[in-house]
Amino acid sequence: MSAADLGAAALRAALFLSLWGTGAAIYAAWRRDVRALHSARIAAGISFGLVVIAALSMMFALATHDFTVLYVAENNARETPLFYSIISLWAALEGSILLWTAILAGATAFIAFRGTLTIPRLATTALAVMFAMLTFFLLLVTTPAADPFARLAVAPENGNGPNALLQNHPLMALHPPLLYLGYVLTSVPFAYAIASLILGEGGDRWLVATRRFALISWGLLGVGIVAGAWWSYAVLGWGGYWAWDPVENAAIMPWLTSTAYLHSVMVEEKRSLLRTWNLALVVATFALTILGTFLTRSGVVNSVHSFSLSAIGPILLGYLVAILVLSVGLLLWRSARLRDAGPIGAPLSREAIFLFQNVLFMAATLTVLLGTLYPLVAEAISGAQLSIGGPYFDRVEVPVALALLFLMGIGPQLPWHGASRATLERQFTAPIVAAAVGALAALVTGTTALPAVLTYALGAFVIATVLQEFARGVRARRTLHGEDGVAAFSNLFRRNGRRYGGYVVHLGIVLIALAVATSQARTVDAERTLAPGDSLQVDGYTVRLEALRPVSEPQRDSIVADLAVTGNGADTQLRPALVQYPNSTAAVGSPGIGAGLRDDVYTILAAYDQRTFSWATIRTRVIPGVSWLWLGGAVVGIGAIIAALPAPRRRVVRMPVAEVAVSAK
Amino acid sequence: MNGRILIALALLALAGALVFAARPHDITADERVDQITAQLRCPVCQGLSVKDSTSETARQMRDLVAQRVREGRTDAEIDAEFRAAYGDWIFLAPPVASWSGLVWLVPIAVIAAGLVLVTGRLRGTGAPPAAEPTSPDVAALRERVAREEAAEG
Amino acid sequence: MILARVVRIAVVVGLLGLVVTLALAFRRDPHDIRTGTVNKPAPAFTLQRLDGSGQVSLADLSGKVVVVNFFASWCLPCTQENPALVRVYERYRSSDVVMLGVNYQESHENGLAYVKRMGIAWTTVADDDGRVALSYGVFGPPETFFIGSDGVIAGRHIGPIDEETLVTAIEKLRGQASSR
Repeated sequence: MSAADLGAAALRAALFLSLWGTGAAIYAAWRRDVRALHSARIAAGISFGLVVIAALSMMFALATHDFTVLYVAENNARETPLFYSIISLWAALEGSILLWTAILAGATAFIAFRGTLTIPRLATTALAVMFAMLTFFLLLVTTPAADPFARLAVAPENGNGPNALLQNHPLMALHPPLLYLGYVLTSVPFAYAIASLILGEGGDRWLVATRRFALISWGLLGVGIVAGAWWSYAVLGWGGYWAWDPVENAAIMPWLTSTAYLHSVMVEEKRSLLRTWNLALVVATFALTILGTFLTRSGVVNSVHSFSLSAIGPILLGYLVAILVLSVGLLLWRSARLRDAGPIGAPLSREAIFLFQNVLFMAATLTVLLGTLYPLVAEAISGAQLSIGGPYFDRVEVPVALALLFLMGIGPQLPWHGASRATLERQFTAPIVAAAVGALAALVTGTTALPAVLTYALGAFVIATVLQEFARGVRARRTLHGEDGVAAFSNLFRRNGRRYGGYVVHLGIVLIALAVATSQARTVDAERTLAPGDSLQVDGYTVRLEALRPVSEPQRDSIVADLAVTGNGADTQLRPALVQYPNSTAAVGSPGIGAGLRDDVYTILAAYDQRTFSWATIRTRVIPGVSWLWLGGAVVGIGAIIAALPAPRRRVVRMPVAEVAVSAK
Repeated sequence: MNGRILIALALLALAGALVFAARPHDITADERVDQITAQLRCPVCQGLSVKDSTSETARQMRDLVAQRVREGRTDAEIDAEFRAAYGDWIFLAPPVASWSGLVWLVPIAVIAAGLVLVTGRLRGTGAPPAAEPTSPDVAALRERVAREEAAEG
Repeated sequence: MILARVVRIAVVVGLLGLVVTLALAFRRDPHDIRTGTVNKPAPAFTLQRLDGSGQVSLADLSGKVVVVNFFASWCLPCTQENPALVRVYERYRSSDVVMLGVNYQESHENGLAYVKRMGIAWTTVADDDGRVALSYGVFGPPETFFIGSDGVIAGRHIGPIDEETLVTAIEKLRGQASSR
C-alpha cells in the first residue's frame, strides 16, 4: 500500500467519523447527553489524527516523487529539491484544501477536548457546527471536486514541477500556512457565535470563550499578510509588496473586519453594547475567508494566485450561500434577544471612538470588496470591461487608513463614557507636540508628499500616546506596588497583556504605516543597459555590472548578473537573475536585494544579450524604509502573542489608604 | 496655561508643515510620465501598472508616454490614445465622470451611512461626563488601577 | 426602529447582490477581453520589412482585405497556429486578400530566422518600438486582426487561430467588398 492509498483511506475514515461526530454533538447538545459528547470527542480526536496522516502521506508522496498521484505529477518533478517538494502541499488547490481541512480538524479537536470542559452546552453546540464544516471539507477532499489523492492510470516519467513562482523563495514555506491558520481559526468564534444564536443566549459567553481564538487568528492573518507582502517583494520582481491583487484583497478583508471586531468586542465586554454588531462582525469575518477562498480558487477573477478552473467554484459558492443564509437568518431571528444595555457614551468617549473606528473599517472592507468585484458587476450589467487596481484603492484607502491612525492615537487615551477638558489636556499635550515633530521630521528627511507627512505626524502622535501609556503604567505600578522600573514594565505585560500587548500591536502598525509612506514617497528608479565593467548611479549608490553568466541547476537554468553595489556606506554583491523553469514559457525574474534599515537596493535583470552576454539591462530601485514593514509585521505578531498569553492568577490589589479614600468619594 | 500655549504652538507647526507639503509645485516631465503610467494597466501583467511592471510591453508603453509628454500632449490626449486602443480596461481606476465612476461613491456613502447610524446612538453632547477628582495625578492612578482590575476580571 | 429596518433590508439586498454577482461571474472568461479597436478604422502604420527590402504602409493596401497577424519566434502558440496561416495564405494567394505578419518584440534577425524556418511567404514587417501593437490594442502574440476593404477593423482574434476561423472571417469581408 502506497502513502497515497493510506492518505485516501484516512480521509474517507475521517469523513465517516466527522459525520458521526456531527450527529453525536447535535444529540449531546440537544439532550445534554454526556455519553454522546464523549463519543463526539473521540470522533474529533481520531479524525484530526487521520487528516494529519493524510497530509503527511501527501508530503511523503511529494518527497518521493510518486507520479501515480495526479497532484504530485502536476506539482512536482524529480529535480524539485526536497524542501520545495514538501511545501508543495500548498502549491495548488487540492493540497491547499487538504491543509485547510487538517487545521480545521485540529480546531475541532481542540474545542471537543478543551472547550466543552467549561461551558458544556454552548461548546457542544459549537462543536456540532465545527463538525458540520469539517464534514463539508472532508467531502471536498474525498470527491473529485478537490481529491488530492486522485490517481493516474499511467504514471508519467517525470512530473510537471511546481509553479515557477512558488519554488523561487523559502518564504513560501511560511506565508500560506500562516494565512490558512488565520483563515481557519476564524471558524472557532464563528461556530460559538452560531451556537449562541441557536441556543438563544442573550449574553456574552460565546465572546469570552473565543476571545483568545479571535485574537490568535487575527494575529496569524496579519503576520501571514505581511509575510505574503514580503514574498511578493522578494519574488515578483517589481519592487513592490502590495498590488491590490484580488487574492491580496481576499486576505485583507477578513483581517479588516477582524480588527474591527477585536475593538468593538471591548465595548460589549465593558458596556454590554453592540451585541448584534459583534455577532455580525464574527460572521462577516468568517464569510469573507470563504469568499476569499472562492475568489482565489474558482478562477472568476484574474490573479497571480488563481489556480485553474475547477468544479470547486460552484461548490464553494454554495457553501458561502449556506453560511450566509444560516447566519443572517439566525441573526434576524434572534436579534430581539440581543438588546443593548443603554445608550453609548459621549462623542469623546472611548466607546464612541471604537464605533467611529468600526465605521472606517467597514468602509475599508466594503471598498475593497466592491473594488474587487466591480469589474464583474459592470461586465454583467453593461458588458463593459474595466479595471480597478492600485490607483483606485490607494486613493480611497489611504485617507481611511490615515483617519484610522488618528483614531488609534486618541481612542486609548479617552476614558469610557466621556472625557472632561482636563483629561483631554492631560492626555494629548505630549502627543500633539510629537505630531508636530513627526511632520517636521518628514520634511527634514525629504519625505515631502502630503500623505507621507500626515503619516509621519500621526505615527509620531500614536507612538507618543503609547509611550505615555507605558510611562504612566510603570509609574502607577511603582507607586502602588513598590516595584522597580523593570519589574513594573514586565508586569504590565504579564498582568494586563491584552492592554499592553495591544499597544505593542499599535506600535507595529505605526512601523508598517511609516514603511509604506516612506517607500511610496521616496523610491528612486534607474534603468540602464550596461556592458560588463560599466556602472550606473542612483541615489548615492553605484551599481557596477561585473559579469553576466549562465548558471545551471537540476531544476532550473538561470542567467545571473553579478553586481557590485557601493556608496552610502554599502559594499555588497547582488545577483539578480532571470530563471527559466522547464515547465514555464517565460523566464521568471529573480531580483537581487540589498536590504538595509535605511533603504533597500532592489536590482532586476530586465534584459540581456542572449548570444554573447555582452550587455544587460539593469533596473535598480532604491526603496527607503521598506525593511520596517517586515519589522512592523514581527512587532504586530509579538504584540498579539503578549495579548493572547493567559495572565497569571490575580492577587487582590491593595490600594494605599489615601487612594481608597479618594475613590470612595 | 503653559500646556495650552505648547499645544497651540505645536498645532501651528503641524499646520505649517502640512501646508508646505500640500503647496502646489511644478512637476518635471519624468514625474508626469510616472503619474500617467501609474494609472495605466500593463496588458501582459496581473493587475500591475505600466509604471511598476518590468515587462517589455510596459517599457514600450513608458517610452510612448515619454515621447508624447515631450511632444507637449496633454494628459487627456495621451489617455485618449490608449483608450482608443484598449478601452477603459487600460485604466486602473475608472474615470470619475462616467457610469463606472459610481464606484467612487461607495466609500463616501458607507462612511456617511455609518456616521449617521453611530451618531444617532451616541449620548447627547450636552450631558456632562461624570465629575472628576481635582488632582489629576490621583485621578490618573485611580482610573488606571480600576481599568486594570476590570480588564483582568 | 425604521432605521434598523432599513439597515436590515440593505444588508439582505447587498448580500443577495453579492451572491448573484459571483454566480454570474462563472459565465465570464477572465481571459476574454473585448474592448479595443474592433469596428473602428484600422490605425495607419508604415513599417520596415523584416528582410530589410523597404517599407510597407497600410495605406498602400487600401481597398483590399488585410489580415494582420502579430507573431514572435519566442511565442509558442504562434508556432501552433502557423500551419493554418500557411494554408490560408496559399488559398488566397492570387486574390485581393493580403496577409501581413507583424513581428512583435524581438530582433530582426531572430524574426527573420523564424520566418524562414516556418515557411512564411507573406510579407512580414518589424514593429521595433511596439507602437503599432499598442495602437491596435494588442495584449500579446499571437493576435490576428481582419481589416475590410473599407479600412475598418471587422474582427479580432486573441490567441492561436485555426483555418476555419480565418476562412470564415476572410470570406465575410470579401462578401461585403463585392456587394458594395
